[in-house]
Amino acid sequence: MIAHTTERILQTVLVLLAISFIAFLLVATLGDPLTSLLPPDASIADRQDLIMRLGLDEPLLTRFLHFLNGMLHGDFGISYRTQDDIGPMIATRLPATIELAFASLLVTLFVGVPLGILCGVRPNGIISRGVMLVSIAGITLPNFVVGVLLIAIFSVHLGWFPSFGRGDTVQIGGWTTGLLTLSGWRAIILPAITLAAFQVTFVIRMLRTQLLEVGQSEHIRFARARGLSERRIWSTYAMRNALLPTITMLALQLGNVIAFSVVTEGVFAWPGIGSLFLQSIQAADVPVIAIYLIFVGAIFMIINLVVELIYPLVDPRLKRSGA
Amino acid sequence: MSEPVLKVRDLSVVLERNGRDFPVLDGVTFDIAPGEVLGLVGESGAGKSMTGIAIIDLLVPPLRRTSGTIALSGERLDQLSAKRMRRVRGKRIGFVFQDPMTSLNPVLSIGRQLTDTMRRHLPLTRGEARERAIAWLTRVGLANPPRVFAAAPHELSGGQRQRIVIALALCAEPDLLIADEPTTALDVSVQAHMLTLLRELHEETGTAMMLITHDLGVIAKMADRVAVFYAGRVIETAPTGRLIGAPLHPYTAGLMQATPAPDADGAMRVRAIPGAMPGIGALPPGCAFHPRCERAQAICREERPPLADAGGHDAACYFPLVEEVVS
Amino acid sequence: MRGLAEAFRGRPGPIVAATLIVLLVVYAFVLPLVTADPFSMSGMSILDAFSPPIWMDGGQATMPFGADDQGRNLITAMAYGLRTSIMVGAISVVIGLVIGGALGLVAGFVGGRTDAIIMRLADVQLAYPALLLAMVIDGIATAILGRGRSNEMAIAIVIVSIGIAFWVQYARTIRSSVMVERDQDYVAAARVTGRSNTAILIQHILPNVMAPVLVIATINLGIAIITEATLSFLGIGIPPTYPSLGSLIRNGNNFLQSGEWWISVFPCLLLVALVVAVNVLGDHLRDHFNPKIRGRT
Repeated sequence: MIAHTTERILQTVLVLLAISFIAFLLVATLGDPLTSLLPPDASIADRQDLIMRLGLDEPLLTRFLHFLNGMLHGDFGISYRTQDDIGPMIATRLPATIELAFASLLVTLFVGVPLGILCGVRPNGIISRGVMLVSIAGITLPNFVVGVLLIAIFSVHLGWFPSFGRGDTVQIGGWTTGLLTLSGWRAIILPAITLAAFQVTFVIRMLRTQLLEVGQSEHIRFARARGLSERRIWSTYAMRNALLPTITMLALQLGNVIAFSVVTEGVFAWPGIGSLFLQSIQAADVPVIAIYLIFVGAIFMIINLVVELIYPLVDPRLKRSGA
Repeated sequence: MSEPVLKVRDLSVVLERNGRDFPVLDGVTFDIAPGEVLGLVGESGAGKSMTGIAIIDLLVPPLRRTSGTIALSGERLDQLSAKRMRRVRGKRIGFVFQDPMTSLNPVLSIGRQLTDTMRRHLPLTRGEARERAIAWLTRVGLANPPRVFAAAPHELSGGQRQRIVIALALCAEPDLLIADEPTTALDVSVQAHMLTLLRELHEETGTAMMLITHDLGVIAKMADRVAVFYAGRVIETAPTGRLIGAPLHPYTAGLMQATPAPDADGAMRVRAIPGAMPGIGALPPGCAFHPRCERAQAICREERPPLADAGGHDAACYFPLVEEVVS
Repeated sequence: MRGLAEAFRGRPGPIVAATLIVLLVVYAFVLPLVTADPFSMSGMSILDAFSPPIWMDGGQATMPFGADDQGRNLITAMAYGLRTSIMVGAISVVIGLVIGGALGLVAGFVGGRTDAIIMRLADVQLAYPALLLAMVIDGIATAILGRGRSNEMAIAIVIVSIGIAFWVQYARTIRSSVMVERDQDYVAAARVTGRSNTAILIQHILPNVMAPVLVIATINLGIAIITEATLSFLGIGIPPTYPSLGSLIRNGNNFLQSGEWWISVFPCLLLVALVVAVNVLGDHLRDHFNPKIRGRT
């Protein structure tokens, strides 16, 4: 068990190193930092100074080690586009993205889970059939189309919610939050729904499948034969079995959610990390793209690893017994 | 004779397929007296398990009960609302399923499953339920009950699990226990223990029992009376000793020649008789057994023999074996 | 082919989807043959700018879906856009198939260290969703080739980006198939009798991978079309000066606020119709052939 855990952690670290190296190679070989970072009339001395500062005269491997070392100490390099340090750039935009992700998670929990349970418990009901029909749209509609249509209806036609930005924000320490103002809440609703569309559909379909499967199992039949109430059977005996795989599968969809957050932030001009990434791509701002790649890869790999290592602890079926 | 614990009359169940109904159980009739053990015996697919499921009203589509009365101590179960029926299940009829490996909820502790069941039917506090649960675990012969109480199903062996399943079925002290092939899925070495346990619990509690099995050996050891099933019908019923000593129906006789030969997968076929039991939807007219029967005459092919009431040893056959056995 | 015909018997959904795809393809490829390119000077008429759909006040019979800000007839512009989207989707699928197929064959046949490297690369790539990867590749290509790129260059970059983003699935499918076949006796026998690897490949391995690859390709076609539209909508794919469904929607999005909803909504609906049809078809093919494709959600 311990050997297995260690091995998986080592593998993850190795893959992350590989990703970092690829990202570093992008920065090192693409674009010319000197022309990007220096004014056109810079002197030879300025150039030499920058080369020294960036360590451009050192061998590739040394530079990679510097790059890694810098990242571990919060130095993520300099953006070609704005000439700012990338670390603070990300830090100022992180709250917007996290709040959006949080809001979309709320939508998923309060819409996806109840509907998924309904569709699993009463698969032949009218509401369930309707939900399943609509959920096809949730799977096939491109993320940005959902956003555009929501804006067309709720922002332009009905005028209920703004179509871009975060609304008024409040600064608390290093964190800018939009969740303390009314306009902030109004502004987050449409993007949150857009981002949640995929997750909601996913959760509904997963829960439904899982519940249908569990509902037919022998232990549920035995629970019925013992006279347990339907409510208890579904809420405890079936849900416990269905929820775990659903959450796991959702966690493994994190990569898609991140990609969709870029699209959502693009559609709604949401000032988060996704927008930063988009602007960087448009401007071919390689250092920011590279850091973003490492960032996303790290989140994805770590979540994967955590899910894989924690799952046996949570699900007694997979617990390794001493034998 | 006192009121039977269970009285089943003319119970019929169909399987609906492509808009047509195919009979699965056809006019099943039997009684179980208080404290009696009735064995239901027959090949796989004869309708024994279906009878059990129909009694506790857990048939799911495409299966459906079409006729019959089921009375538990005089109360008509077939007329109860779904809600009242849930109070009967577990509380007044306990049910033991065949496979202990799949009968227990894999993500809930044994204790949780026991206390949930007891507190559903009995007015117990959490503490009392726990105490009783541990008492039950002791009673079904499990070592170290507090550890088992906290354990998850996967930590226990098949035999241990089946003991827990029995405890779950009995923990609300039902009047009737239906045990569907309680030993089939277990190792041969464990089977005898399990039968002894059931016998002991039956004697201690006085609960009536309906024991479903394909194994006449189990019947001989456990049952007071036997009902033999063939193709969805009861074809012979008698006290165990009389049935085994002098079967009336040619099928029963064949069944006994095939004993003991339970297949590993429980799908026992009676090889002493040529041919196979007709499947659902393939019932021949007349006696369902006639294509395999050496004694069949014209009438057997045309008319279905009724279960003749002959003073406690009844058989549905026009040409029963009795004279031959006597002579 | 008989298997394919068999796959459609008695199934209305997939038949409707297939018919819709045929109609859309005809629309996309025939209409541009008989109309002037609305993205050239001769195809626009600025007087018709913001002309609404036919059923609204001021709608014109020649412009059933209205016109955009430059006076481009939307029904024509959408045909041009659809043509681009279908072609970009199809070509990128082929590119993904070629790259993935080649790497899968090499990995399966050569095995050993080559196989390990290719498959680890696939693992790393799987950490990133295809959409994100296509964005990154697009950004990197821009960095290499410079920002002042022509329409043709932009389209080529989009196609290659999407193609590269999708190679892993093909590679895995083909590799596993090759590995199974490689050790079969008849392949060894064919080798002994002096057949070349290529001949063995074509005769024994190709038939086995055809069905799963066809299914993956159909499903990926839907995703590729969405990816192109998304990239173009976000302004990192096909530029607004060239028609694709994504660039039309991006352009129309500028006028959503001021009430000219049709400029974006109709291309949206067209995109949705195309993608839904392709997905229904893909799902159906998958269910029919039921190959052991790793569950994609």
